[in-house]
Amino acid sequence: MMPFLKPSLYLSAALTLVIVLAVPVFLLQSSAPFWATYGISTIAATEWFPYEQLYGMLPAIIGSTWAIVIALSIAIPCAIAAAIMANEMMSASMASATRLGMEVLAAIPSIVYGLIGLWVLLPLLQHSFDLLSGHSLLAAGLILALMILPMITLMSMDALKQVSAEQRQAGLSLGLNWEALLFRISLPQAWPGIRSGILLALGRALGETMAVMLVVGSLDRMPQPITNILQPAQTLTSRIGREIGEAAFGSEHFSALMACGLLLALMGLSISLFAHVRGLNK
Amino acid sequence: MNQSLNVTPAMPTDALPAIAPSLCVEHLCLQLAGRDILSDISFTLPETGIISLVGPSGAGKSTLLRCLNRLHEQWQGSITLADQNIQHDDADALRRKIGLIGQKPAVFPCSIGDNLVFGLNRQQRKQTTSAQIQTALMQAALWTEVEQRLHEPAAHLSLGQQQRLCLARALILKPSILLLDEPTSALDPRSRDIIEQSMLSLSQSMPLLWVSHDLEQAQRISSHIIFICDGKLIEQADADSFFRHPKRIESREFLRWSVCDC
Repeated sequence: MMPFLKPSLYLSAALTLVIVLAVPVFLLQSSAPFWATYGISTIAATEWFPYEQLYGMLPAIIGSTWAIVIALSIAIPCAIAAAIMANEMMSASMASATRLGMEVLAAIPSIVYGLIGLWVLLPLLQHSFDLLSGHSLLAAGLILALMILPMITLMSMDALKQVSAEQRQAGLSLGLNWEALLFRISLPQAWPGIRSGILLALGRALGETMAVMLVVGSLDRMPQPITNILQPAQTLTSRIGREIGEAAFGSEHFSALMACGLLLALMGLSISLFAHVRGLNK
Repeated sequence: MNQSLNVTPAMPTDALPAIAPSLCVEHLCLQLAGRDILSDISFTLPETGIISLVGPSGAGKSTLLRCLNRLHEQWQGSITLADQNIQHDDADALRRKIGLIGQKPAVFPCSIGDNLVFGLNRQQRKQTTSAQIQTALMQAALWTEVEQRLHEPAAHLSLGQQQRLCLARALILKPSILLLDEPTSALDPRSRDIIEQSMLSLSQSMPLLWVSHDLEQAQRISSHIIFICDGKLIEQADADSFFRHPKRIESREFLRWSVCDC
């Protein structure tokens, strides 16, 4: 009937596999000169001055980690609470409006979030914490939280909607009150879906560049102390985004930025592998 | 019509001290989306026995059960349990007194033992003895099959066993009345027979209101019949009278063709 269907499917699958393999190969190849010169120990170095051949990556790794931790700490509880509210308490029309709102938020380009951060968030943080400027890890984390909130909320809403009506009725018939129904039936059953939303959001937060670049301050130094999230800092993505235009193609600086890209890819891969090994992505 | 049933236990109850408080329904009406779902339903459940609620599809049988344990709240009329209006009781507490078993077994994704005590609060769970667990499982005719498997996931049980687990889970709450919404319709004949036998034993100490589409089953197990059609109670009688000498023409039609023209 459709002689081209099977070959097309095989071709698509093969192409996907090739792309998946090509990305790390490309990153390894382009960053190889850097690793050959500076070695793996540069990951733990703290100074990044490309013009003096200093390529310490630790501040950006710490920056990325902080931004993600802040974003997830804020977005996960807010998103789950919003999903519970929409599914369990709101009328159907209100829940539908909430979903629409979240879908609109999810569709906004990241540069717009960055501009909102510049316009609203930075002055707010500057005045609230009496800072020289609002550029900080906290700003980056908050903007990321805002960006990943719709993704986790929408997936949590879908997951809660999938909870078996029979089991909910069985719980009610056993005299479980609303809270017990939520914590003992709905959330445990919806958790795999919620978890998938969190993992996807984590991937987006890890790779987000533009919005973070506009608010993080791009200062290549370790936070002092390391828990100070009110200082300007740098993330791996904001560093690549800011400096890739200045680095000559094939130069050592270019290769170092590719090494940052490889680290990002490895962080993403580690999260996926961890989720896979622990069965978190099921 | 619509007179209360005479209390005639299906089986002797001399050895069973507990006498269930009677459930009395008076002039129950329910409208959903402007449509009459139940109209002027009145009956009193006997203190023991299996009372089958029969009628064609869409007659309002399951809805009636949901009103009785307040899964539907918008009804009018009066439902009393031991002379107390059930609307004055806390809904969650009431649902423990009036257990409801659905058509499909709904086991929770945890072990058999955890499923069994799912309806108990934390303190009650701590105080639950193995004897109580054994009693509930024996009442549901499941003890011998799961005695050594209480830590296994409940999902590993067969459908029939899962339904009996649901029964045991309701029974451990010590309900006064059990509502059963076609509990055997999704089961194989052997599982159906086991549940019927265990429910017959249980009905010696409490009333079981059993929705059934299977008239042979209703005849086999019931002490009383309540026949409703199009949301109205058409006839209520003891099972023998209903099946041998139905008083209403609608009942005769239903017994002959399983449909009625109300």
